[in-house]
Amino acid sequence: MQTYNINYKNIFYPPGGILMWIIIYLELITFGMALIAFVYYGHQEPEVFHQSRLQLNSTFGAINTIFLLTSGFFMATAVHHFKEKNIAKSSFYFKLTMLGGLLFLILKSVEYYHKIESGITLETNVFFSFYWLLTAFHLIHVIMGLVILIWTNYGMTKKNSDTAVEDIEACAAFWHMCDLIWLLLFPTLYLIF
Amino acid sequence: MKKSLLVTYGLLIVLTITTALISNSTSFSNVAVALIMGLSGIKFLLVAFQFMELKKANSAWKYTLIIVLALMISLILLIF
Repeated sequence: MQTYNINYKNIFYPPGGILMWIIIYLELITFGMALIAFVYYGHQEPEVFHQSRLQLNSTFGAINTIFLLTSGFFMATAVHHFKEKNIAKSSFYFKLTMLGGLLFLILKSVEYYHKIESGITLETNVFFSFYWLLTAFHLIHVIMGLVILIWTNYGMTKKNSDTAVEDIEACAAFWHMCDLIWLLLFPTLYLIF
Repeated sequence: MKKSLLVTYGLLIVLTITTALISNSTSFSNVAVALIMGLSGIKFLLVAFQFMELKKANSAWKYTLIIVLALMISLILLIF
Protein backbone atom coordinates (compact mmCIF):
# COMPACT_ATOMS: atom_id res chain seq x y z
CA MET A 1 0.00 0.00 0.00
CA GLN A 2 1.28 3.43 -0.92
CA THR A 3 1.14 6.06 1.80
CA TYR A 4 3.20 9.20 2.05
CA ASN A 5 3.16 12.57 3.71
CA ILE A 6 1.12 15.20 1.91
CA ASN A 7 1.87 18.88 2.37
CA TYR A 8 -1.70 20.08 2.96
CA LYS A 9 -0.45 23.66 3.40
CA ASN A 10 0.38 23.72 -0.30
CA ILE A 11 -2.56 25.45 -2.03
CA PHE A 12 -2.70 22.66 -4.65
CA TYR A 13 -3.14 19.85 -2.06
CA PRO A 14 -6.15 20.48 0.22
CA PRO A 15 -7.31 17.29 2.03
CA GLY A 16 -9.40 15.47 -0.59
CA GLY A 17 -7.58 17.00 -3.55
CA ILE A 18 -7.92 20.25 -5.48
CA LEU A 19 -10.36 18.85 -8.07
CA MET A 20 -12.71 17.57 -5.37
CA TRP A 21 -12.64 20.96 -3.64
CA ILE A 22 -13.38 22.77 -6.91
CA ILE A 23 -16.44 20.47 -7.27
CA ILE A 24 -17.42 21.15 -3.64
CA TYR A 25 -17.28 24.93 -4.16
CA LEU A 26 -19.28 24.71 -7.41
CA GLU A 27 -21.92 22.55 -5.72
CA LEU A 28 -22.16 24.84 -2.71
CA ILE A 29 -22.49 27.94 -4.88
CA THR A 30 -25.14 26.26 -7.08
CA PHE A 31 -27.23 25.08 -4.11
CA GLY A 32 -26.60 28.42 -2.36
CA MET A 33 -27.95 30.39 -5.33
CA ALA A 34 -31.04 28.16 -5.47
CA LEU A 35 -31.63 28.70 -1.74
CA ILE A 36 -31.30 32.47 -2.13
CA ALA A 37 -33.86 32.33 -4.99
CA PHE A 38 -36.11 30.19 -2.74
CA VAL A 39 -35.97 32.79 0.06
CA TYR A 40 -36.62 35.56 -2.51
CA TYR A 41 -39.84 33.83 -3.68
CA GLY A 42 -40.73 33.18 -0.03
CA HIS A 43 -40.50 36.93 0.58
CA GLN A 44 -42.99 37.47 -2.31
CA GLU A 45 -45.50 34.86 -1.05
CA PRO A 46 -44.96 34.55 2.73
CA GLU A 47 -48.36 32.96 3.48
CA VAL A 48 -48.02 30.26 0.77
CA PHE A 49 -44.51 29.44 1.99
CA HIS A 50 -45.57 29.34 5.65
CA GLN A 51 -48.53 27.01 4.95
CA SER A 52 -46.37 24.81 2.70
CA ARG A 53 -43.56 24.64 5.26
CA LEU A 54 -46.07 23.44 7.87
CA GLN A 55 -46.82 20.45 5.59
CA LEU A 56 -43.19 19.31 5.86
CA ASN A 57 -42.19 16.94 8.65
CA SER A 58 -39.38 18.82 10.43
CA THR A 59 -38.86 15.84 12.80
CA PHE A 60 -37.96 13.68 9.78
CA GLY A 61 -35.63 16.47 8.65
CA ALA A 62 -33.95 16.67 12.07
CA ILE A 63 -33.54 12.87 12.27
CA ASN A 64 -32.06 12.86 8.77
CA THR A 65 -29.62 15.59 9.88
CA ILE A 66 -28.51 13.32 12.74
CA PHE A 67 -28.16 10.36 10.34
CA LEU A 68 -25.92 12.37 8.02
CA LEU A 69 -23.84 13.90 10.84
CA THR A 70 -23.34 10.46 12.42
CA SER A 71 -22.41 9.05 9.04
CA GLY A 72 -19.95 11.94 8.56
CA PHE A 73 -18.39 11.20 11.96
CA PHE A 74 -17.90 7.54 10.97
CA MET A 75 -16.40 8.66 7.66
CA ALA A 76 -13.86 10.91 9.41
CA THR A 77 -13.02 8.02 11.79
CA ALA A 78 -12.56 5.66 8.81
CA VAL A 79 -10.05 8.10 7.25
CA HIS A 80 -8.23 8.36 10.59
CA HIS A 81 -7.87 4.56 10.83
CA PHE A 82 -6.80 4.27 7.19
CA LYS A 83 -3.98 6.76 7.85
CA GLU A 84 -2.89 4.55 10.76
CA LYS A 85 -2.85 1.64 8.27
CA ASN A 86 -5.60 -0.16 10.17
CA ILE A 87 -7.54 -1.25 7.10
CA ALA A 88 -9.92 -3.65 8.89
CA LYS A 89 -11.09 -0.94 11.29
CA SER A 90 -11.27 1.61 8.50
CA SER A 91 -13.45 -0.76 6.45
CA PHE A 92 -15.70 -1.32 9.49
CA TYR A 93 -16.28 2.45 9.79
CA PHE A 94 -16.83 2.66 6.03
CA LYS A 95 -19.70 0.20 6.46
CA LEU A 96 -21.15 2.23 9.36
CA THR A 97 -20.91 5.34 7.14
CA MET A 98 -22.87 3.54 4.44
CA LEU A 99 -25.48 2.46 7.01
CA GLY A 100 -26.00 6.13 7.95
CA GLY A 101 -26.46 7.02 4.29
CA LEU A 102 -28.87 4.14 3.79
CA LEU A 103 -30.98 5.20 6.79
CA PHE A 104 -31.10 8.72 5.30
CA LEU A 105 -32.36 7.27 2.01
CA ILE A 106 -35.02 5.16 3.73
CA LEU A 107 -36.40 8.08 5.78
CA LYS A 108 -36.33 10.37 2.74
CA SER A 109 -38.27 7.74 0.76
CA VAL A 110 -40.90 7.57 3.53
CA GLU A 111 -41.15 11.37 3.47
CA TYR A 112 -41.50 11.42 -0.34
CA TYR A 113 -44.14 8.66 -0.16
CA HIS A 114 -46.26 10.71 2.27
CA LYS A 115 -45.94 13.80 0.07
CA ILE A 116 -46.96 11.95 -3.11
CA GLU A 117 -49.83 10.26 -1.26
CA SER A 118 -51.07 13.70 -0.14
CA GLY A 119 -50.99 14.87 -3.77
CA ILE A 120 -48.04 17.22 -3.23
CA THR A 121 -46.05 17.38 -6.46
CA LEU A 122 -43.57 19.59 -8.26
CA GLU A 123 -46.47 21.66 -9.61
CA THR A 124 -48.30 22.24 -6.29
CA ASN A 125 -46.71 25.68 -5.78
CA VAL A 126 -43.33 27.47 -5.92
CA PHE A 127 -42.36 26.22 -2.45
CA PHE A 128 -42.82 22.58 -3.42
CA SER A 129 -41.14 23.06 -6.81
CA PHE A 130 -38.02 24.11 -4.90
CA TYR A 131 -38.55 21.41 -2.25
CA TRP A 132 -38.67 18.58 -4.81
CA LEU A 133 -35.84 19.88 -6.98
CA LEU A 134 -33.43 20.71 -4.14
CA THR A 135 -34.04 17.60 -2.03
CA ALA A 136 -34.02 15.29 -5.09
CA PHE A 137 -30.74 16.74 -6.37
CA HIS A 138 -29.29 16.31 -2.90
CA LEU A 139 -30.60 12.73 -2.79
CA ILE A 140 -28.86 11.96 -6.10
CA HIS A 141 -25.60 13.17 -4.50
CA VAL A 142 -26.16 10.85 -1.51
CA ILE A 143 -26.82 7.87 -3.83
CA MET A 144 -23.70 8.77 -5.85
CA GLY A 145 -21.75 9.06 -2.57
CA LEU A 146 -22.92 5.60 -1.50
CA VAL A 147 -21.74 4.13 -4.82
CA ILE A 148 -18.33 5.78 -4.34
CA LEU A 149 -18.17 4.45 -0.74
CA ILE A 150 -18.98 0.87 -1.83
CA TRP A 151 -16.45 1.05 -4.65
CA THR A 152 -13.68 2.56 -2.46
CA ASN A 153 -14.32 0.09 0.36
CA TYR A 154 -14.11 -2.79 -2.09
CA GLY A 155 -10.87 -1.39 -3.56
CA MET A 156 -9.12 -0.91 -0.23
CA THR A 157 -10.02 -4.34 1.21
CA LYS A 158 -9.06 -6.49 -1.78
CA LYS A 159 -5.70 -8.27 -1.89
CA ASN A 160 -2.70 -6.21 -3.09
CA SER A 161 -4.76 -3.04 -2.86
CA ASP A 162 -3.19 0.08 -4.35
CA THR A 163 -5.69 2.43 -2.69
CA ALA A 164 -3.82 5.52 -1.50
CA VAL A 165 -4.73 7.92 1.30
CA GLU A 166 -5.64 10.56 -1.35
CA ASP A 167 -8.29 8.20 -2.76
CA ILE A 168 -9.83 7.73 0.69
CA GLU A 169 -9.71 11.48 1.38
CA ALA A 170 -11.35 12.30 -1.95
CA CYS A 171 -14.11 9.77 -1.27
CA ALA A 172 -14.59 11.21 2.24
CA ALA A 173 -14.66 14.79 0.92
CA PHE A 174 -17.49 13.90 -1.48
CA TRP A 175 -19.45 12.25 1.32
CA HIS A 176 -18.98 15.23 3.66
CA MET A 177 -20.11 17.53 0.84
CA CYS A 178 -23.54 15.84 1.11
CA ASP A 179 -23.55 16.82 4.81
CA LEU A 180 -22.59 20.41 3.99
CA ILE A 181 -25.37 20.79 1.41
CA TRP A 182 -27.94 19.25 3.77
CA LEU A 183 -26.86 21.57 6.62
CA LEU A 184 -27.95 24.50 4.41
CA LEU A 185 -31.05 22.84 2.89
CA PHE A 186 -32.57 21.65 6.17
CA PRO A 187 -32.97 24.99 8.02
CA THR A 188 -33.96 26.93 4.88
CA LEU A 189 -36.60 24.47 3.63
CA TYR A 190 -37.91 22.97 6.87
CA LEU A 191 -37.54 25.62 9.56
CA ILE A 192 -37.43 29.32 8.74
CA PHE A 193 -40.77 29.96 6.95
CA MET B 1 -11.13 6.71 18.05
CA LYS B 2 -9.85 10.26 17.78
CA LYS B 3 -11.01 12.42 20.69
CA SER B 4 -11.31 15.64 18.65
CA LEU B 5 -13.67 13.91 16.21
CA LEU B 6 -15.84 12.65 19.06
CA VAL B 7 -16.00 16.12 20.66
CA THR B 8 -16.94 17.65 17.27
CA TYR B 9 -19.65 15.05 16.78
CA GLY B 10 -21.07 15.72 20.27
CA LEU B 11 -21.09 19.45 19.55
CA LEU B 12 -22.87 18.90 16.22
CA ILE B 13 -25.61 16.86 17.90
CA VAL B 14 -26.05 19.47 20.65
CA LEU B 15 -26.32 22.24 18.02
CA THR B 16 -28.86 20.20 16.02
CA ILE B 17 -31.03 19.70 19.11
CA THR B 18 -30.71 23.41 19.99
CA THR B 19 -31.81 24.35 16.44
CA ALA B 20 -34.83 22.02 16.75
CA LEU B 21 -35.76 23.58 20.12
CA ILE B 22 -35.52 27.12 18.73
CA SER B 23 -37.65 26.24 15.70
CA ASN B 24 -40.30 24.72 17.98
CA SER B 25 -40.45 27.79 20.23
CA THR B 26 -43.73 29.68 20.13
CA SER B 27 -42.13 33.13 19.75
CA PHE B 28 -40.82 32.62 16.23
CA SER B 29 -39.17 35.85 15.11
CA ASN B 30 -36.44 37.26 12.86
CA VAL B 31 -34.02 36.72 15.76
CA ALA B 32 -34.95 33.03 15.84
CA VAL B 33 -34.38 32.76 12.07
CA ALA B 34 -30.97 34.45 12.42
CA LEU B 35 -30.13 32.06 15.28
CA ILE B 36 -31.18 28.98 13.27
CA MET B 37 -29.11 30.06 10.26
CA GLY B 38 -26.16 31.06 12.48
CA LEU B 39 -26.13 27.69 14.26
CA SER B 40 -26.37 25.91 10.90
CA GLY B 41 -23.38 27.96 9.74
CA ILE B 42 -21.38 26.86 12.80
CA LYS B 43 -22.30 23.20 12.10
CA PHE B 44 -21.23 23.67 8.48
CA LEU B 45 -17.82 25.01 9.56
CA LEU B 46 -17.37 22.23 12.15
CA VAL B 47 -17.92 19.56 9.47
CA ALA B 48 -15.62 21.33 6.99
CA PHE B 49 -12.77 22.13 9.40
CA GLN B 50 -12.86 19.02 11.61
CA PHE B 51 -14.35 16.13 9.61
CA MET B 52 -12.97 17.28 6.22
CA GLU B 53 -9.72 18.43 7.87
CA LEU B 54 -9.84 21.81 6.17
CA LYS B 55 -8.02 23.13 9.26
CA LYS B 56 -4.86 21.56 7.81
CA ALA B 57 -5.29 23.20 4.38
CA ASN B 58 -3.81 26.38 2.98
CA SER B 59 -5.46 29.53 4.42
CA ALA B 60 -6.86 30.44 0.98
CA TRP B 61 -9.19 27.41 1.07
CA LYS B 62 -10.31 28.21 4.63
CA TYR B 63 -11.03 31.89 4.01
CA THR B 64 -12.79 31.21 0.70
CA LEU B 65 -15.15 28.73 2.36
CA ILE B 66 -15.89 31.13 5.23
CA ILE B 67 -16.57 33.96 2.75
CA VAL B 68 -18.86 31.79 0.56
CA LEU B 69 -20.82 30.61 3.61
CA ALA B 70 -21.06 34.10 5.15
CA LEU B 71 -22.27 35.51 1.82
CA MET B 72 -24.95 32.83 1.45
CA ILE B 73 -26.28 33.18 5.00
CA SER B 74 -26.16 36.99 4.90
CA LEU B 75 -28.09 37.12 1.60
CA ILE B 76 -30.69 34.66 2.93
CA LEU B 77 -31.16 36.75 6.09
CA LEU B 78 -31.21 40.05 4.17
CA ILE B 79 -33.89 38.85 1.73
CA PHE B 80 -35.87 37.14 4.52
